[in-house]
Amino acid sequence: MFIYTEEIEQNLLKKSNMKNKIRNFINNGDLRKVRFWIQLVSFVLFVYGGYLAINFGSSFPIFTCPYNQDVSATCYLISLQHQLALPSKILFSPAFIPIFIGLLTFLAWFIVLNKAWCGYMCPFGTLQDWITSLRKKIGIRFSVYTRHHFEQLSKIKYVFLTIVLLFPILIGAGVISNNWSATFCQMCPARVISPMFTGDFSQWSIDFSSKTNMILTALGISFASLFFIGSFVKKRFFCFFCPMSALHYIFANTSIVKFKKNGSKCTRCGDCYTVCDMQIKDIADDVISTNILRDDCILCLKCVAACPEDDALHFDIFNIKIFSSTREGFEKRMNVGFNIKNDGETDK
Amino acid sequence: MSIETNHHIESPKEKQNRHKAMEAISLLNSLREDFKAPIESMEYFYDLFERVHCKHESLHDDKTKIGTMCIQIPSEIIYALDGVPIRLCNGFYTDDEIGSDFMPQKACPLVKATVGHFASNNFTDKPDIVFSPTTCDQKTKAGSMIESFGYKFIDVDFPRTKDSEASREYWRRSVKQFALDLSKFQGKKLTKANLKNAIKKIGYAQSLYNKLSDFRKNEVVPILGLDVFLVTNAFFFDKIDNWIEATQKLISELEIRAKEKISPAGKASPRIVYTGSPPIFPNYKIPQIIEESDGIIVADETCSSNRMFNDMVAIDEWNMYDMMDSMSDKYLKACTCPIFTKNEDRIRRVIQLVRDYKADGVIYQAFAGCTVYEMEQRSVLEAMEKEGIPILYLESDYSPSQGGQLSTRVEAFLESLKTRRRNKK
Repeated sequence: MFIYTEEIEQNLLKKSNMKNKIRNFINNGDLRKVRFWIQLVSFVLFVYGGYLAINFGSSFPIFTCPYNQDVSATCYLISLQHQLALPSKILFSPAFIPIFIGLLTFLAWFIVLNKAWCGYMCPFGTLQDWITSLRKKIGIRFSVYTRHHFEQLSKIKYVFLTIVLLFPILIGAGVISNNWSATFCQMCPARVISPMFTGDFSQWSIDFSSKTNMILTALGISFASLFFIGSFVKKRFFCFFCPMSALHYIFANTSIVKFKKNGSKCTRCGDCYTVCDMQIKDIADDVISTNILRDDCILCLKCVAACPEDDALHFDIFNIKIFSSTREGFEKRMNVGFNIKNDGETDK
Repeated sequence: MSIETNHHIESPKEKQNRHKAMEAISLLNSLREDFKAPIESMEYFYDLFERVHCKHESLHDDKTKIGTMCIQIPSEIIYALDGVPIRLCNGFYTDDEIGSDFMPQKACPLVKATVGHFASNNFTDKPDIVFSPTTCDQKTKAGSMIESFGYKFIDVDFPRTKDSEASREYWRRSVKQFALDLSKFQGKKLTKANLKNAIKKIGYAQSLYNKLSDFRKNEVVPILGLDVFLVTNAFFFDKIDNWIEATQKLISELEIRAKEKISPAGKASPRIVYTGSPPIFPNYKIPQIIEESDGIIVADETCSSNRMFNDMVAIDEWNMYDMMDSMSDKYLKACTCPIFTKNEDRIRRVIQLVRDYKADGVIYQAFAGCTVYEMEQRSVLEAMEKEGIPILYLESDYSPSQGGQLSTRVEAFLESLKTRRRNKK
């Protein structure tokens, strides 16, 4: 009996040692590398997956735009717009079930990763990160919004989301003509840019079939041009305006993934804010909220990697800490103690 | 008939030096001899203070010395511009007495001592220029006085609130201005590579301090709080490379001590978090009383120690302005100086230190005349009471005379902590 309990204890000890080892391994990891590879793989998978006959369906929570024929999934916004544009009578009949299923599928995808879809999976986000790396290589500094501009501009994504939801219903109700179909898609820079990945530049044109189309597609082209300029000077330029990001935020609490902060461990040093691509100030300043996910957040977790306080920020799945801030990890990632003599850019 | 006079009349400067040397050596001797299991590698630090304060050796003859009045002046920028930061906060009673002629009677002894030091113009490493962040009233006003003594003295605007976005912007601008002023004074351009190197170096020093602190989380604490104060105080003026080397040695010795469970403290010594007005060499009056009365300081929340090292700079892209901004934020937003309007950050910090270092209680010292610490006492005491953390508030100054009364109070407090711990068991 005595031996038996000792064995159990030893096993438990082994397990907890193992657990700690894994935890340390993850917390000390080089997030940049991990992210780069995940982003690259998912970019290829979602943008070119069609070639391999991969199909994730039409309710995907990221900008996998079907205007590019070879995507392996379809952005939920386009399906949503089409579904909402059904004539009002049908919309409120049992035929609404497919819409409901669409929403459920979207949610099923979404709850798995929460907003990490933006930071790790979205090809449109990845593209912006690549443009950022290009700018870094050239050695140009990025720009930031002032707090005032930030607060003003931050509302735009909700305006876009309203366009996504409202205009199709208006079409269905017969208030506006069919020329408005998929209103947001016509304006969306992803429609113009995504097909370019497979060599299709045909979306860089204005549709002159009606005044409405002309205006919307012209907007689309200007947004696409703005996208390139914007994301060259500003990190994750488009994400700030993305209606998908706004839609995510509405459902953020349903996810199994949580982004948490322990305010009592925070010294408000602002390292997290400094590295945040989205300029989210609460990440540093809010020491009261435990749920620190904000509407602009893309869950890239750069802030967790840049936080020197043990467990002040952590990324949880089912309330289990998967990735936590640690001083040890911080020092490894920031190359503290190495590179004292400047040898160029080892920390890139 | 001629009388040979062989005796020499002591000049005021010599007298000041002699008095300061006496203050310094009495503390150093006590550190060397009064505690069990002394740490060998601490000798570097004892010797350093002895050389500077008793033998009046200067350390930085060949370098431009940049005086700073508070921790908010980024030493990264000073190192990047090839200067040596010398923090001029002063802990000598001798200088406090000299300063009393210039300051109001009830002023803070730290500011008085600093002013006294400047007034005496008696430095081992005289600052070539002084930068002073406009922190508390007394330091701010002392600036113009020090300038009138003939020093090159520059105010660096520091905001008194830190929650608004305006204050962040304001301080970032101030730091940029400081960098410009210093770069002009030094006739040297601040480059990306230099600043990055300096940030890395300070970052390394910070990580060493944090490693040192980690030992104090152990159940058997291998180092005195007094020794740690000495190590961090040495960072005020020591050659940084020497400091790094000595601290590395200290850490390796502590590793062995931790393994062998050697401690200068007793088994039942109450663990104390120290907060309030900064202990600055040789005014270690309160820490000395605590540790001589069988307490052990496991952590502190003061600007002469923990606050200098805790927050490390992180940067996404090593551009000049990003480095500057990230650095500036640390010196403002993470600062828990009581001069700010509100200070929940400081309270949170003390509570967290108590938890992390498994402390039994907090001792809060305020210098008589340090209005801001005196004023904040109430809110801190209330918060600690809410958390169920025992706290003792003490008022002290630099005079050597009030020892008895203070040690009675500290002893009683430590005794109560011991009883509390026993009852818990």
